[in-house]
Amino acid sequence: MKDFAPAAAVPLRAPGEVLRLARMGAMMPTRLSFLRTLLRRLCAERARITRTHWQMSAEGHGHAVYAIPLAGHTYSLVAISNDLPDDQRSDRVIATAWDAAFVLFDGTPGAEDIARIKAQAPKQEAGRFGPRDLVLSRANKSVRMWDATVSALHAGRQPDRAMIRDIGYLMRTTAVYGNGKFGIADRHLIADRPGLGGPFAAEMLAVYMIRHFTLDLVQHVGGGTLDRDLAQHLGIGNATGLGMAPFLVTHPVLLHNWLHARETALARVRAVAEMSPDIRTRLHSLAARAAAHLAEWHVPAPDHDATLRQLETDWHRFRPQIDAAQSIDALWQAAQSQSAALQELLAALLIEAFPEHVDDLADSMGDAHGPLVQPFADTGALQLAIGRDWAWALGCDYAQADACKRFWYVSADKLEPRLGDRFADAGAALETPLDIARRVAALFAALPPQAQPLSTFLRDHPEHAMAVQRVAVLAHHPYAEIRDNLIAATCRPIDMLRCKLSFFGATKFDPKSDLWTRITLAQGAPLGDALSPEGEDWWLPVLG
Amino acid sequence: MKSWSWTETQALGVRAASGAGVPPAQALAFGAMLARHLADDGAEAPLMRALTAPDAVLGLAHRVETVVEQASVGGNSVTVEEADAGQRALLISWLSALPCEADLSVTGNTITAKLDLAAPSLRSRPARITLSDDLAADLHALASKTYVPDSDTSRASGAGAGLMELD
Repeated sequence: MKDFAPAAAVPLRAPGEVLRLARMGAMMPTRLSFLRTLLRRLCAERARITRTHWQMSAEGHGHAVYAIPLAGHTYSLVAISNDLPDDQRSDRVIATAWDAAFVLFDGTPGAEDIARIKAQAPKQEAGRFGPRDLVLSRANKSVRMWDATVSALHAGRQPDRAMIRDIGYLMRTTAVYGNGKFGIADRHLIADRPGLGGPFAAEMLAVYMIRHFTLDLVQHVGGGTLDRDLAQHLGIGNATGLGMAPFLVTHPVLLHNWLHARETALARVRAVAEMSPDIRTRLHSLAARAAAHLAEWHVPAPDHDATLRQLETDWHRFRPQIDAAQSIDALWQAAQSQSAALQELLAALLIEAFPEHVDDLADSMGDAHGPLVQPFADTGALQLAIGRDWAWALGCDYAQADACKRFWYVSADKLEPRLGDRFADAGAALETPLDIARRVAALFAALPPQAQPLSTFLRDHPEHAMAVQRVAVLAHHPYAEIRDNLIAATCRPIDMLRCKLSFFGATKFDPKSDLWTRITLAQGAPLGDALSPEGEDWWLPVLG
Repeated sequence: MKSWSWTETQALGVRAASGAGVPPAQALAFGAMLARHLADDGAEAPLMRALTAPDAVLGLAHRVETVVEQASVGGNSVTVEEADAGQRALLISWLSALPCEADLSVTGNTITAKLDLAAPSLRSRPARITLSDDLAADLHALASKTYVPDSDTSRASGAGAGLMELD
């Protein structure tokens, strides 16, 4: 991790401003997003995806293997396509069958490896995997997009452009597992490899190769060739539920590193003194692209669509500020009276416009070791730290029903995180400890009036050890905590999902409730046979 | 015997400790210790013995906290006495699993620890960890105590996506 001190004269935004759920729920992908970082590397290396196996029926059922070189290593995607009846197709983690299953394999799989993966991957969580299996995933077709594309290609024409614009993918992954799950390789085994060192890099590589496979498969079944601009606008969908949300709480150092890198990028760009004609032109170009992207981004949920339409209107009104502002920071300051959504869009745009100031920050977003923190000298020092860093958590009466209405838990059936109503549902006694604010408030209340060694306090109050650790981590990693009560009735997990997915590089967020969302990844990304530095400019893609 | 990834071994240890009634921070540390212990070919018996008495796990955690505290105030080396061989083995594994650099030596019942709290641990982790079927079953049994049984309500309102998603 890099030092906290900003590299620029402009201060970083305060954690208390950035890490509110309402703002996290408005975050946008940036060029520091993990998929962008990976693609930048692949483009720089002019990597090529090659198809090494293809045993597929006319209906598109069978298996395929793809290989891609990255920094001297070869990685292979083994894809298995199944015949899935419509009544078994579900995006839920509780599903037991999918249209396709995938393993990202370390190296080139032999016949035995392929046979093993063919047997195990369709079982997903019920399967067993080994240390050369890096990522496990599965996907379902977007039946509407898939059928329309196959029909069009069969008929010798291209699929409807508007449908591609509105849906944006042929298949949707419903889980992408990495880091040791179900026996697959631990992250530490590959973390020091160039290109895979960043957070979720292996998962992003798998997702990008899955997108390539879906394009191959639909053209095989349809018996035709997609126009390249249409193919490039077909990304890979993803349906994401609650399972992703706890990660942000259980990995505080990573959360800090992600946010710190992004906020440092913004501060560096705001410190750029000159607003030259070239910079103004670049900003106008990106602002026009953002406007076109917003115009193409519609979602079925009326409330979320209304938010998008408001952002579209606000953005249209704000764009003239690019001409009025005398500096980047003046442009940023002009946005401070605008909505969080507009500010986050502008932040992403500014970061996009200055790769030379921000791209190196991608190297600081991992966390190889976990928190290395000095323990507090005594409970007095701990008390001071809580008073300094946790005021946002102390002013709440957590005994009030609305302040503790929700509880997080893990279901026995599929071992998936869920959210319950403390006053209506069974299981609160088995609550997952994501109630960080409440725990720190309880610790603060339990501290003795006279300072004593921390080990003595924790011997008598071992239940507060977790809160002590969170305070110690936050003292050194100021972006490590979400500054909201995650068990309040008002907590919307969708905001946590939006934050995390924006760091993945997701676009076209399509929330289906407060608990889950669909997104698109790699839409507009260069195709697997056309990776080059010239093709790397695909922030907020537009089909037109 | 089955081989496991480090991450799933550690996660199972955390869950098992939670199921045994150990508070979250100590359960997390226990999981890290368990993975380290098994990776270093430590005996399995002391692990389950500790989990049958959560106070034993808390006692281990407290002793490690004390070592870290002493190291943070300038203790070049900190000594810990433990007569029980099983407990001593777990203490060594717990100290070895700290995220910081730990130089440990053992003489008789005495563990001497030199910690550099500012330096990350450089200890390597193996690609695979082997657990006996008995230990895995015992850990799973404890872990299962932390899961909430499914209900129609939890599936419908507590989870994510809708049931059928075709488009």
